[in-house]
Amino acid sequence: MLTWEFPPRIVGGIARHCFGLTRALAKAGHEVSVVTLEFPGALEYEEMDGVKLFRVPIALGHPNFLTWVLLFNHFIEKQVAELCREEKPDIIHAHDWVVSPSAISLKLSLNVPLVFTIHSTEMGRAQGLRNPDSFTINGFEWWATYEACKVIVTTEAMKREVGGHFELSTKKMATIPNAIDQKKFDIVIDRKSIKQRYATPHEKIVLFVGRLTPQKGVEYLIHAVPQILRHHPEAKFVIVGEGWLRSNLEQLARNSGHSEKIFFTGFLSERDLLEIMSSADVLVLPSIYEPFGIVALEGLAAGIPVVASRIDGLAEVINHNKNGILVYPRNPESIAWGVNQILSDSNYARLLCTNGQKKLRKTYNWDAVAEKTERVYEDAVKL
Amino acid sequence: MNTDFPKRYSSFSLSDDFQLLCMLSNIGVITPAKSLTIEELSERTRLEISVIQKLLSKLVQEGYVEVSTIEFTEKYYLTLNGIRKVLSTYS
Repeated sequence: MLTWEFPPRIVGGIARHCFGLTRALAKAGHEVSVVTLEFPGALEYEEMDGVKLFRVPIALGHPNFLTWVLLFNHFIEKQVAELCREEKPDIIHAHDWVVSPSAISLKLSLNVPLVFTIHSTEMGRAQGLRNPDSFTINGFEWWATYEACKVIVTTEAMKREVGGHFELSTKKMATIPNAIDQKKFDIVIDRKSIKQRYATPHEKIVLFVGRLTPQKGVEYLIHAVPQILRHHPEAKFVIVGEGWLRSNLEQLARNSGHSEKIFFTGFLSERDLLEIMSSADVLVLPSIYEPFGIVALEGLAAGIPVVASRIDGLAEVINHNKNGILVYPRNPESIAWGVNQILSDSNYARLLCTNGQKKLRKTYNWDAVAEKTERVYEDAVKL
Repeated sequence: MNTDFPKRYSSFSLSDDFQLLCMLSNIGVITPAKSLTIEELSERTRLEISVIQKLLSKLVQEGYVEVSTIEFTEKYYLTLNGIRKVLSTYS
């Protein structure tokens, strides 16, 4: 498996997806090797729950991002070539465009089927192709979907997006959802003391978790703050995550006149994240583009009510009024309405959580995802 | 020397200090062992020393870059938070 993100190199959902999937595949009896990029403090080689993990040191760099991507792909290829001296893999499974040059090259040189999971598109992430880099990234994405014998997407919405944008036959695509390890949410915590890290004892935590980029729509949540505080002055907004938009969002929070009510935590460790998710009163996902939204699943697992934008990927995970509330994207009034609904009615909030956990147990577990992925591998080998 | 950075998004633009952070990540300045001096960074990025100095001081203050002093020479590298911030752009 080729991926540029793998724990502890965690940015978005890809690292968590690859971690969960590889462990489940190894548990099902497959021999799984992951080739990923180096990360300070992490071992170059280790075995984790039966998964062999190779973190490739990148000996050459370049200030230009795309040049750097091509360089590290060379080092990935080199690592896989060394592994193949002993045994050739049956499948190469690559995640997202950043590893597509090495994945395609290895497919052709080793004559091994390539399975490509596309977690999101440049078109969606950047909300259009606005510069030469975006066009090149879009080109890499198309190229990988073209060369792969099977393309995996995580939602039906993503299937429509990828199929339409890259003119890809639906026969070539398989929809396999993300999942989460629900056991990690079975933790005993002192909710009161955790809340005190971020809020005063009487405050209710309105939580956002995600990368601080335009795609996540945090600005719309900040614009909704005054309308939420008008009805619920006890609300405290905790923004968890890191990203290039952080300073802009902090400025926006200051301009809102409620900066004392909006707290930016930066990146949190896995444990701290679990604790805050299990202690919050409502999770808000105001994204404007979200092919899946693994954080929504984490919210359901943590037992907190979720307010999410009614956009394709999130709307497949959250069913309005059943296991969460869907609000209009880019619409602070709608976000405020959703949050106020939850904060005003604790019985309703509890009902949403109960329904959410039922759906989670039934649909989103790694063993089921691994089983579906195995079937895709079987099809790929036969082609 | 070039002091202009390309813009990725139309509605939001990447700040100059963030673009320098990306460059540092791309050239591999991610551990104390791989840290570089301002002069070396200027050579690799083709940015003016004065520009780099100004941007680095902001990045150090924000905790995205760390300074290591080796034999009286200051060298710079990304912190884990710096790396994570860079990765958020393209992930």
